Amino acid sequence: MISLTDFLIVSAVLFCVGLYMIVSKQNAIQVLIGIELMLNAAILNLVAFSKYDRFNNGGQMFALFAIVLAAATTAVALAIILNVYKQYKTIDPGEINKLRD
Amino acid sequence: MDNFLQAIDTLTIKFALAAVLLPLLAFIINLALPGKNNKVAGWISTGAILISCVLSVSVFSKVWNTDHLVHQQVLWFTIGDTKVYAGVLLNNLSVLMLVLVNVIALPVHIYSTAYMKNDDGYNRYFAFLSLFCFSMLALVVVDNLVLFYIFWELVGFSSYLLIGFWFTRHKAVQANKKAFIMNRIGDIGLLTAIIILFTQYHTFDIDFLFGSIDIAKFASVHDFWVFNTDLPSQVGSIWVKGGAVPLPIIWQYVAFAGIFLAVAAKSAQFPLHTWLPDAMEGPTSVSALIHAATMVAAGVFLLGRVYPVFNETELTILAIIGCFTAFMAATIALTQNDFKRILAYSTISQLGYMIMAMGIGAYSSSLFHLVTHAFFKCLLFLVAGIVIHQMSHIRDDNKLEIDPQNILNMGGLRKKMPLTFIAALIGALALIGLPFTSGYLSKDGILIQAFQWSEGKSFIYILIPVFAVLTTWLTAFYVIRLIVKVFFGDLRLLEKYPSIKLHIADGGWRYVLPLFILAIGSLFPLFSINPFSYEQSWLFKGVTIGHNVAGEGVYHILVPVAVNIFSLLVVYGAYVIYAKRKISPFSQTNALWRLSFNEWYFDHFYKKYIVKPVMVLSRSVFWWDRRVIDGFIHTLAKTAMALSKLTAWADQHIIDGFLHLVVNVVQSVGNFARRFQGGKVQYYLYSMLVIILALFILKTLI
Repeated sequence: MISLTDFLIVSAVLFCVGLYMIVSKQNAIQVLIGIELMLNAAILNLVAFSKYDRFNNGGQMFALFAIVLAAATTAVALAIILNVYKQYKTIDPGEINKLRD
Repeated sequence: MDNFLQAIDTLTIKFALAAVLLPLLAFIINLALPGKNNKVAGWISTGAILISCVLSVSVFSKVWNTDHLVHQQVLWFTIGDTKVYAGVLLNNLSVLMLVLVNVIALPVHIYSTAYMKNDDGYNRYFAFLSLFCFSMLALVVVDNLVLFYIFWELVGFSSYLLIGFWFTRHKAVQANKKAFIMNRIGDIGLLTAIIILFTQYHTFDIDFLFGSIDIAKFASVHDFWVFNTDLPSQVGSIWVKGGAVPLPIIWQYVAFAGIFLAVAAKSAQFPLHTWLPDAMEGPTSVSALIHAATMVAAGVFLLGRVYPVFNETELTILAIIGCFTAFMAATIALTQNDFKRILAYSTISQLGYMIMAMGIGAYSSSLFHLVTHAFFKCLLFLVAGIVIHQMSHIRDDNKLEIDPQNILNMGGLRKKMPLTFIAALIGALALIGLPFTSGYLSKDGILIQAFQWSEGKSFIYILIPVFAVLTTWLTAFYVIRLIVKVFFGDLRLLEKYPSIKLHIADGGWRYVLPLFILAIGSLFPLFSINPFSYEQSWLFKGVTIGHNVAGEGVYHILVPVAVNIFSLLVVYGAYVIYAKRKISPFSQTNALWRLSFNEWYFDHFYKKYIVKPVMVLSRSVFWWDRRVIDGFIHTLAKTAMALSKLTAWADQHIIDGFLHLVVNVVQSVGNFARRFQGGKVQYYLYSMLVIILALFILKTLI
């Protein structure tokens, strides 16, 4: 029997992996993947806690919303990455430091 | 009229200057010439001396016996109130020397072009030779003592260069060092004398001091105040300025001692004569020049210039020293076996005559002897050069181990080299002073005047003329010994090495022409029409000062006849001893022979009692310097070094260390802070995460 705790553990692992990828990867695509992982950890939480919802499937509805939003933001982010690549000929976020003081 | 004379004077001075400066020009050109054995060098030097010879003869004809002193000067420099003039002074004495130096130097130059033709240092040789001639020519014409001193030094220096011409030979280096050091001793004397004279009279002008105005004489001999009114007006100002004190007698003697040292060093008089025989290490043509006209003549010339300054006692000292030197050198020459060494000692002996003549007041005879001696001694040296040259040819052709200068190896050369033999014979007869030669005229003048001088004095003074006459006979003996050993009999080398081949001859015109010129100069007609009377010689008359002793008196017949008859006997005796070898030569073991052969032990004496103590002193001073003074300084230096090292360490590690620490701290703080603004997105995120975590932890803990 899979309990709620197991879901939360998977979700925490996913979140941590995502966080790690965001701060450590040298490739913007991977960073983006990290963001996706974190989002999915959150979505997993929504789905896992939907068992205790007052309305049936409320959490899952939110999860669908979040997935759709994630897809949209990913598209936008990929577009940004493409443009960044055009501009800087690299997608290493460490290299793109025009904004520093 | 005065202007006219002035113009002529200026022309004469220009000629004289040109005559003096041409060899200098040749020296400079020769230094600049490329190559080491460039035949052009010889012709430049010879040409320069030829032109200068012609010029000096024309100067001579204008100045000689005109009773007109050519003297012009320009302001050279001023120190305080003292003005020092540089100029040219031409009187009988200086034009005579001017011509003499040139006339002797010309044959020597011609001879040298042949003699040195295979030498590697041909250019250098002629450059030095020209420098030598220049310094001597300048010495005789300058009119002030400072310039005189400069050229006096230059003569010494250029002779140093030439004596050590073959500087790879150890002996030559020793010889030129010796000559230079001896001459330095004399130079100190001359400098002392110049300083004393200047302190007293406030002028360097030779004409002023010793010439027509002659203040030195006035002041040293007479009480000044008596003469105050008689002095020429131009002197008066000096007296007023310089303080009218006559030279104190003690300084008079110190100045004399200085001048005597200078003369003794340059003219090789006892006790500074030992450099001259050693100076034979130079090329023979240089020896000829040194002995005849340039180097040793300078001493006698100096005496001639400053003659009026001496008083009676000093002149007597000169006479004694000169006589002693003449006698001593003649006895040494008796036993020497080196061709050039014999001639060197004979030069010392003849110079002794000149100094003695100066001392006994035979001023003109002394200069006369200087001139005649220049001719025949140069002639003899050139002969020696040819003989030695041929002997070394024999040595090189047959690869023998002999000394080409040793007369014991020679003999019978008169058949091989007839012209050289005749020249040598003329030179030898002139050196002995037999009639019909120039040597007779001058030497008999000296002897006669020596006897006249000793007349009426204490009997001890008679020793001087007696020893002078004795020296004449000794001269006759050693000269004949030399001539016979070299030119008569058979070549002694053949006895030792019967198989050697001989290719010897007189040599080309460049050897013969100089001999011819000098041989003419060694005979009487050049100097006097009457071969028996020195007083009728133009030269004697030209340089006479004061009253001339009338040519009468018993000595004028007695002395020449006695001296010459005995000289002829000595000549015959020597000829018999050495040519026929009937009588065995003298015992070579007795004390007198050894004394003579070892040159009176002067070198030993100097070595033992002067050179060695000086060396010991210098070594101990060196040791003192090295160990004590240097040691002290080194200790100081080491302490200072240690101190500074300590300081450097402290500076580097403590002061700099503190500063670096501060800098590092600031830098690391800065770097640390900088990283938050590095423009890296991920880093921002990371720091945000850390801060949030920290906040959480803080929240949880508190």
